[in-house]
Amino acid sequence: MTEGQGRRGTGRSRAARGDAGQVPRTSPSPFTGARGHADELGALLALVARGDQDAYRAFFDRTARHVLGTVLAVVRDPAQSEEVAQEVLLEVWRSASRFDASLGSAAAWVATLAHRRAVDRVRSEQKAAERELRVPSSSVAYDEVTEAVEARLDRERVRRCLGALTELQRESVTLAYYGGYTYREVAELLGVAVGTVKTRMRDGLIRLRDCLGVDS
Amino acid sequence: MRLGGSDPHTLAGAYAMDAVSEPDRARFERHLAGCESCRQEIRGLREATAALAAAAAVQPSDAFRDAALRAAAQTRQLPPAVGQAPESWTAGDRGRRRSELRGWRSRLAVGVAGALAAVALAGGVVTYGMQHRLDQAQLHDHAVAAVLSAPDAAMMTAPVRTGGTATVVMSHRERVLVFTAVDLRLLPAAQSYELWLIGPAGSRPAGMVPGPAHGGMADPMVVSGLRAGDRVGLTVEPAGGSPRPTSPPVVLVSLGGTH
Repeated sequence: MTEGQGRRGTGRSRAARGDAGQVPRTSPSPFTGARGHADELGALLALVARGDQDAYRAFFDRTARHVLGTVLAVVRDPAQSEEVAQEVLLEVWRSASRFDASLGSAAAWVATLAHRRAVDRVRSEQKAAERELRVPSSSVAYDEVTEAVEARLDRERVRRCLGALTELQRESVTLAYYGGYTYREVAELLGVAVGTVKTRMRDGLIRLRDCLGVDS
Repeated sequence: MRLGGSDPHTLAGAYAMDAVSEPDRARFERHLAGCESCRQEIRGLREATAALAAAAAVQPSDAFRDAALRAAAQTRQLPPAVGQAPESWTAGDRGRRRSELRGWRSRLAVGVAGALAAVALAGGVVTYGMQHRLDQAQLHDHAVAAVLSAPDAAMMTAPVRTGGTATVVMSHRERVLVFTAVDLRLLPAAQSYELWLIGPAGSRPAGMVPGPAHGGMADPMVVSGLRAGDRVGLTVEPAGGSPRPTSPPVVLVSLGGTH
């Protein structure tokens, strides 16, 4: 297979995976639905923790687009987003040894770091008024030419599962996650009681989790 | 434990999506520490948020990739954590901010020590009066250090409209903050910078900002008695200060949270 754009890491990561092959590849991935992806990421991260730069490259090539996309969704400004995404990816390298697999998958850890840092950035700037509402189904930018097949599958699965939520659940989840709003802000935006929004966020995420077939 | 009068479990979704304020987050994490089923639920919800992240994927440029890999190659990694709290999954992240605070704190300590050394050298001997000043300085330094080392200390910086940068380190729990500024524009002798706590009920004076002492940095001020909704503002006032601000703030820092 030739290494096309957007698949750059595949050949390298296979070489770099090293002893990752010992890990049983049984659990379904939250990213792709393909079996084993999540465990491979965790195994790569264990190598990264020992200072393996090849493993970091492989890990980067599998997760950087999720980090950048998440940060872009929340922060919006491309230059600031790249800066925040760089910080997150450097944090992955620095604190790989602090990753605790008992608290979730490596993919979830990276996504949590990225989202948290993005939200910290926008809240510290308190520029809420300058941010526009962002609805991911219509406004997440992506280039079909360079997009990897698995990324498209991720998007379609998530879109399908989001479609299975009630409207209020979906709005609550997307405004919180992609908009970076607090539940109080979401309640204000939707004109709904704070308690209702909290409940819808939880119910919506639980439904999403079940629909995606995510292990917990 | 109850959060805002409701079942804390309902906050799980908002928490997993970072859709909570800092005080809400801290309270929920304390609850998590004693609730295994909550941790289990958060674990599942985080996998769902990872899928949301994946669905937003955007391919980075080659330049982005090169910069990131170069940065990693030049950065020392953290050793494994010992005794890490199980619920603080992004502890590495916090560690970074802690170390920033530590860096800031040691710069402060160097500054204060430098000023004291200069005083001692100029005087040749330490007189009673000087000893008193040293003690006062140390007391003040302890108050500063107490804020900087508070477990919930958060640092905020903001550019000052007329030049320079203001820094606030805040402990919501202790309702106290440390303010300092670097490279403030020098004022004519008839004017001074005054610090204010600006809340819903009006502005309260929080002290005159001392002139830059060392390295262009104003001696840190400790401000206590914060109330909900307070912001920190800096104005230019006649020397000696005013009971109320007489000019618009040159910098206004939101403290976030609800104290």
